[in-house]
Amino acid sequence: MTKRDKIIYWTGFGVIVALLIVAPLVLPPYWSRFVTEILIWGLLAMSSDVLIGYTGMVSFGHSAFFGLGMYGAAAALLMVSPPNLILALAFGLIGAAAVSAFVAYFSTRLRDIYFAITTLIFSQIFYVIIFTWTEVTGGENGLSFRRPAFGIPGIWTTPFTAETLHWFVLALVVGSYLLLRRIMHSPFGMVLQSIRENEPRTRAIGYPVERYKIVAVMLSGLFAGLAGVLYAVQNRFAAPDFVFFLISGEAVIFNVMGGIGTLVGPIVGAATFLLLREGLGRLFGEQFPYLIPLGFIFIAIIIFLPQGLLGFMRRWLNK
Amino acid sequence: MASVLTFFTEFPFELFVIQTLNGIVTGMILALIASGLTLIFGIMDVVNFAHGELFMLGAYMGVIVLSTTGSFWLALILATLIVALFGAAMQIVTLRPLVGRDPLTTILATFGVSLILQNYALWQFGPVARKINEPYTGHFNLFYLEYPWYRLVIAGLSAALIGGFWLFLKHGKFGIWIRATMQDRVMAQAMGIPVPLVHTAAFAIGAGMAAASGVLFGPLVGVNHTMGLDWVLKAFIVVVVGGMGNLGGSIAAAIFISLLESYAAIWVSPAQAVIVSFIVLIFTLLFRPTGLFVPTPK
Amino acid sequence: MSAQGTLQEKSEGPLIAVEDLHTYYGKSHILHGVSLTVGRGEVVGLLGRNGVGKSTTLKTIMGLIYPKQGRIMLEGKAVTSTPAHKLAKLGIAYVPEDRRIFRLLTVMENLRTGLDRPGVTDERKKELLDKVFSYFPVLGERRDQAGGTLSGGEQQMLAIARAMMLEPKIILLDEPTEGLMPRMVSQIRQIIDVLHSEGVAILLVEQNVPLTLEASQRVYIMEKGAIRHHAVSSELKIDDPVIKQYLGV
Repeated sequence: MTKRDKIIYWTGFGVIVALLIVAPLVLPPYWSRFVTEILIWGLLAMSSDVLIGYTGMVSFGHSAFFGLGMYGAAAALLMVSPPNLILALAFGLIGAAAVSAFVAYFSTRLRDIYFAITTLIFSQIFYVIIFTWTEVTGGENGLSFRRPAFGIPGIWTTPFTAETLHWFVLALVVGSYLLLRRIMHSPFGMVLQSIRENEPRTRAIGYPVERYKIVAVMLSGLFAGLAGVLYAVQNRFAAPDFVFFLISGEAVIFNVMGGIGTLVGPIVGAATFLLLREGLGRLFGEQFPYLIPLGFIFIAIIIFLPQGLLGFMRRWLNK
Repeated sequence: MASVLTFFTEFPFELFVIQTLNGIVTGMILALIASGLTLIFGIMDVVNFAHGELFMLGAYMGVIVLSTTGSFWLALILATLIVALFGAAMQIVTLRPLVGRDPLTTILATFGVSLILQNYALWQFGPVARKINEPYTGHFNLFYLEYPWYRLVIAGLSAALIGGFWLFLKHGKFGIWIRATMQDRVMAQAMGIPVPLVHTAAFAIGAGMAAASGVLFGPLVGVNHTMGLDWVLKAFIVVVVGGMGNLGGSIAAAIFISLLESYAAIWVSPAQAVIVSFIVLIFTLLFRPTGLFVPTPK
Repeated sequence: MSAQGTLQEKSEGPLIAVEDLHTYYGKSHILHGVSLTVGRGEVVGLLGRNGVGKSTTLKTIMGLIYPKQGRIMLEGKAVTSTPAHKLAKLGIAYVPEDRRIFRLLTVMENLRTGLDRPGVTDERKKELLDKVFSYFPVLGERRDQAGGTLSGGEQQMLAIARAMMLEPKIILLDEPTEGLMPRMVSQIRQIIDVLHSEGVAILLVEQNVPLTLEASQRVYIMEKGAIRHHAVSSELKIDDPVIKQYLGV
């Protein structure tokens, strides 16, 4: 990145973050909440980009990581009174990490389509378990709980307002982006990208490809889990629908729409998707099957815009 | 030891026989769906995510034709043909432009199609399940159950369709074209075989087979917009366990997995019995990723 | 291009004329402006070391890869970027380097991939089959055996026989003698002569220089993705400095 590029990049970054900080202060509550939700789905999509865009593995199982983050947070929030934010984060991340370690261990032995199908099947296993284990998970109805307060319990806490919740989510999403960007530019990230470009050669050079893939899946799963925790905290419930593979499918759609291998592209994809859904719902009513036009748009993007909406910026964003 | 003994004394043999029969019936339906999926994967490396929705679409077409004409058999034939045509159109519009791209893009595109079809069905037909009446309503006594003849008819018809498909592949010009294209697309084209046409036709055949199984299966469970989802997951498992692109393996795997799930349903709820097939899949992928029912590659 | 003056084409023009072909594999530039011609019924050799683009030239002519630049003319008509299955109908047949027979199809089914064309009568089919079975009796004996069970030499025969089913005007023959026993090599050599006598043109890519010079009327020598030398085969000696320079024999 030249110095000029750097200035443009960080200026753009600063402007967008500043706009997102101001958003809850100027937007009506409905839209402010909408932006928060975009950030959470964007984080899920961004985590999946680590695999799709940087390692060349399409995961159809991110709903498992997201869902376990959600149910992990739910467990912490229901067990401890008063509900504890730090504990919710810890439980959610541990849950997601455990599941992603398990999935990573098995699924990374396979490539391409086989990897995609295996991750899909794994996420369905967790879905079936959560859906049928009613005594623990609440089954079909899921679990609902109170929202924890912001702060460190015992020292200083303050209840979340819509604004502070938004800023909290924003801080974590921006932090995740910077961290993931850093990791993808590190030697580790370079190895992942070389696996994407040419796996046999990467192996021939002497890198333990399988181990790198396992770490990549776990890394990706951890951030998906974080998104799950944030969603649970925002919405005060955990439901099996969020472990269902359609969520994984949406994460993939966000990626394809926004542009894989850019980290921010998936957030843009999530925003586009959710805005289109919202717009279609407002134009044609709540009952409108918005997934029909969105499905057509999705297919059109795959065929005519394989790099996604931000594809033209991909090289530049990765400098 | 004692517990083993109680297992045997309390082993529900009658239920076991019934479940064997049920397993074979669903196994044949699954084999019919999976054959189409295998054909499509084997010939063009496309994992057709929308296959379950083609199954569902077939069932709905069956409902429509049945309600206007009153003939189950006409419904079966027309639904198969209509969905086959739809499949051909779908292949031309969404998959042909992706030829030469990463095969994973085809999963994404067909996933898009499945979203569209599923939501279209919900929008058009509503969430309430529709009913297809069985063409045969007779029963026979099986222990304490009245077992419907129609279930055996399904198994027989599915077997006949699969057998017909196999004969079609084995004999005749078009069968040779399909098999040659499956083995070596490039060389098939160099031999003058119109590969793009063969791809479209194979997709149409696979879609038609899915639709036929949808109509056949409709009377057992009712027809609704989510019925494709369970089946496509099962069919994926079958196709992988059977060895991707291997027809005989898929059929064996379909029956094997359906039997396992049927037996598991003796002890756990059907929703949990699904996990058995997931476990079979995982073990297959770990120990024999080329498939359980194919000879070890030399 | 020393021999150019002596290499006049017949008045009706060449069967195949390739002009300034540039072909890429992804980003790597393989052919840098290949031009060559093959006359009707003519056997033309294409020599060169490994990796100079001989096979790529054949694949480009067959329409299996499309060139970024340049023209391919078949009987005076441009067929550049025509899909392979249409070129096969127009009279180009291809025998690839690794033979690529359909391993799970029987010998007979392999032949039928080229035989089941519209407009071929049953009588004509029988004639064609009888012809290849008389040239390659072993294929007749094994007609119901899976192609994959044949030996390397038998597979090569099947690949050539399969190409003959198309009744082509030209066969693109890629290293037919590679890895074969001497007895098989002479059989391949004979079939080239038979095809030549029947008026089928052949573009022959080979590593076997003596065989190529014997079997062909003209040869092109390639290096680094381009034609470097063009000669009448009978005028080129095996110890010619040109051969030494480009082929290192």
